[in-house]
Amino acid sequence: MDTENIDPKILALMEENPGISTAEIASSLDLDESIVQQRIDFLSDTREKLLIVDEELDALTALRVALESEGYNVVVALDGFEGLEKAKTEKPDAILLDIMMPGMDGFEVCKRLKSDPSTRHIPVIMLTAKGETDDKVEGLELGADDYVTKPFNLKELKARIRTVLRRTSF
Amino acid sequence: MLDKKSRWNLIVFAVIVLLLIGSIVFFWMRANVEVRSIVEDQYQNQQLILTQYISSSLEELLNERVLLLEVMARNEQGVPEDLFVSDFETIYKAAEIYHVLEFINANGTVVSGYPSENVPYGYNLHENNNEWAFEEVRRTGEVYISEPRMTMEGIYGSFVWVPVFEDGEFRGTIFGIVSDENIIRQFDATSNSSNSVYLLNSEGEIIYDQSGTYEKGTDYFDYISGYEVERLDIVQAQISGQEGNGKYPDTGSDQGQDILISYSPVSWYNKNWSLGLTSPGSAVDRLIVSVYVKLFTVAGLSVLFILFLGSQVYFILLNWNRSLEDEVEKKTHELKQSNESLIAANLKLKELDRLKTEFLSMVSHELKTPLTAMKTSSEFLLEEKCDQDTRKQMLSLINRNVDRQARMVDDLLDISRIESNRMNFEMENINLGEALDHSLENISKPARDKDIDIKVNMPVPAPKVYADKDKLIQVFVNLLSNAVKFTPVGGEISVSAKELARKIEVSVSDNGIGIDPDNLEHIFDKFYQIDSTSTRKVGGCGLGLAISKGIVEGMGGSIRVESETDKGSTFIFTLQKADHDQNNNDLNNRE
Repeated sequence: MDTENIDPKILALMEENPGISTAEIASSLDLDESIVQQRIDFLSDTREKLLIVDEELDALTALRVALESEGYNVVVALDGFEGLEKAKTEKPDAILLDIMMPGMDGFEVCKRLKSDPSTRHIPVIMLTAKGETDDKVEGLELGADDYVTKPFNLKELKARIRTVLRRTSF
Repeated sequence: MLDKKSRWNLIVFAVIVLLLIGSIVFFWMRANVEVRSIVEDQYQNQQLILTQYISSSLEELLNERVLLLEVMARNEQGVPEDLFVSDFETIYKAAEIYHVLEFINANGTVVSGYPSENVPYGYNLHENNNEWAFEEVRRTGEVYISEPRMTMEGIYGSFVWVPVFEDGEFRGTIFGIVSDENIIRQFDATSNSSNSVYLLNSEGEIIYDQSGTYEKGTDYFDYISGYEVERLDIVQAQISGQEGNGKYPDTGSDQGQDILISYSPVSWYNKNWSLGLTSPGSAVDRLIVSVYVKLFTVAGLSVLFILFLGSQVYFILLNWNRSLEDEVEKKTHELKQSNESLIAANLKLKELDRLKTEFLSMVSHELKTPLTAMKTSSEFLLEEKCDQDTRKQMLSLINRNVDRQARMVDDLLDISRIESNRMNFEMENINLGEALDHSLENISKPARDKDIDIKVNMPVPAPKVYADKDKLIQVFVNLLSNAVKFTPVGGEISVSAKELARKIEVSVSDNGIGIDPDNLEHIFDKFYQIDSTSTRKVGGCGLGLAISKGIVEGMGGSIRVESETDKGSTFIFTLQKADHDQNNNDLNNRE
């Protein structure tokens, strides 16, 4: 699905005709209505979007629920590859990245995120059980904006997320 | 084989030996000259003594014999009736040197004598112009002996004139001829083969020569050429009645030999003769040679002995050297080996250290993971208001993770005990079928959820094994739950047991996704998990198989796996057969 192409077209149609319905848009773009609806929902979602990348399902779930209740739009990925892909497609406002993952570890993901022009600007907070200073330094040097050790204090994490978002949203 | 050092040693050794031999030769040559002269002197002195002996015996003999005549002549009774004939006979027989004894009367006529066949009866001196000596003794009244010469009797000899006086009146002379043959007979006894004796008179004329070279009566000087100075000196000394030693070069021989002469005077009344004893220089040489032969034999043996000792010492040193070198090489080799094993041990220790650090790191991560989920959930529940469903979700999440943490702690404790040989096994005879049934109860729900069929293939009656019941169940549960995890929906798991000679073999197989050959050798390692996405969701920390292995081995068995990707896996382990005698815990703490 070529969201890059569809989204601008939908926006253009809506701008032209603010009262236009989804069905009308769908028929004029020759797309399925559900897809149009999905894209509209996506575009109208003004919540800040967070991407969490962690292989531990339970940790992921707990955090997702907690952050969603805080009012964030949360997207999840279970490994590095999925994380990179979703970073590009979902365009999150911040990424919470676990380090100990199978395949590609967090450091590698961070490096790639920061070297890709389309994702470079997204702030990254690294989460991990590894709390050594060397790891912190490595993470920060790779371009991470912050580093939090597990198990973390939920309040503290929320505050750090807010800070990091504030920094980038000038 | 001879390296530089040994070659140097050999050279030094050879040089020393040569130096020794060289100095010996040098000193010998120096000594030789002295020895020669000493031996010569000694030899000549010996010869001189012999000469003196001979000359004095000769002197004595001759003097004695003439004395006999003198005694006879000074007979108080004057001329006896028989004109001395009986006396002559006695003396002739006793003296043994007279050819003839005669009495010549005052007229100069031979009137008596003995032996009568040699006496020229009636021979008159005056008529034959032979009266000089006769008149001489009449005048002097002393004994007179003439030089030896050929007599008219055909005898070569000396004349002895002894005057006879009776009451101061000259009555005639006693006359004796001493033939040289008689004298010679005396010599023969006293000389040996290499020496030869000659007799010179005061004029230098040959009286007697044993060697036969010089004719008697001839002048010795005639045999000497002008340049034979030493020889002339010797003859001069002899003529002047001296005694001593001398030598002169032998012109006759071609070896430059000397002739050694010892001489001694023979004084016989008015006669002054000189006895000479010649010996060839070669006699001295022979003597010296024989001495040298002995000397060199000794020296040679000594040198050989020295060489022998030297070579022995050399070989001992060489051996020492070699054995030292061997020793050093051996020690170096040992050191090298020891070093290598130390390096290897060090590497091993470093590896172990690394593994330990890795293990700790893994453990801390694994323990913190459920904690994170629990903390997040509980903090959320404390702070936020949420709907019933969400609360239920969070609480069951916490619960689930508590269980998970507990299991993990148990697993970690198990693996820690196995590693430090502190796992306790309560071994007893148990029914394998019963143990299996217990395990199947544990996993029946997960299996049903995935619609997996579990088949049991056990011999009837079920075999009895010698094992720890709870731990055996733990192993079964681990293997069966793995099988369920990795088998797709609708798959099949089978458990079978087989009796071997001394063990019971149990197999748990599935037809699931199988294990990659690369992963196969690591499957029993701690924390090893095959990370396909499907497994990550299920959780677990990868200690199950490691623990199962530890338990099976601790109970005296072994475990292995056979697998093929996408076809399935079979885990096979062995257990001890139950025995009526084995009802005690003698397999505790076995690893």
